[in-house]
Amino acid sequence: MNLYEHTLIAKQDISTAELEKIEKKYNDIITKTDGKIVKVEKWGLLNFAKKIKTYNKGFYIHYKFEAKNKTLEEIKRNSIIDNSLLRHLTVKYKKLDTETEYFKGINEKKK
Amino acid sequence: MKRKNNKFNKRPQNPLNKLSLFQKSDSRFSKKCPLSGKDAPIIDYKNIKLLKRYISDTDKIMPSRITSVSQSKQRKLTSEIKKAKILGLI
Repeated sequence: MNLYEHTLIAKQDISTAELEKIEKKYNDIITKTDGKIVKVEKWGLLNFAKKIKTYNKGFYIHYKFEAKNKTLEEIKRNSIIDNSLLRHLTVKYKKLDTETEYFKGINEKKK
Repeated sequence: MKRKNNKFNKRPQNPLNKLSLFQKSDSRFSKKCPLSGKDAPIIDYKNIKLLKRYISDTDKIMPSRITSVSQSKQRKLTSEIKKAKILGLI
């Protein structure tokens, strides 16, 4: 079992109900394949630095979990097929720090 | 050897005393690496504030001879910056 971080970028024109579906879908994939979820962070709607496929903004969802190689393959396979996602990234870590949240309150300041 | 060192020390120490612009300044400064040592900031692809300091206006990675980052930390910086670029954060 290793520690991983996974981030998803969903399209901007998705409704909130669909967003929760996506979040649940990857939660289930991790738990069904003998993984443990440590933390889930919603970074909210953020601006891109550059355009990605004619989109200027996107919803970010961030997972921190403990899993085997089998779950990673499942997550990759699903996120490539998924039409509502723009990009995804998985990073392996030796230690996860769950305390610092870099994107907390970015959207609140603008309002 | 001692005489040579004496000569080097006698040079004018104020960098504004130069005769021309292309003359090298005598006052050498050594700068420590800002990312290593105690209570250094964490290099991570989520820490955008830190990564933006080491990027030029045209989104290029700054060379370590300008920023004086140590070699091992520079290697880590480049990998983290590239991860952030994939996610469209930088």
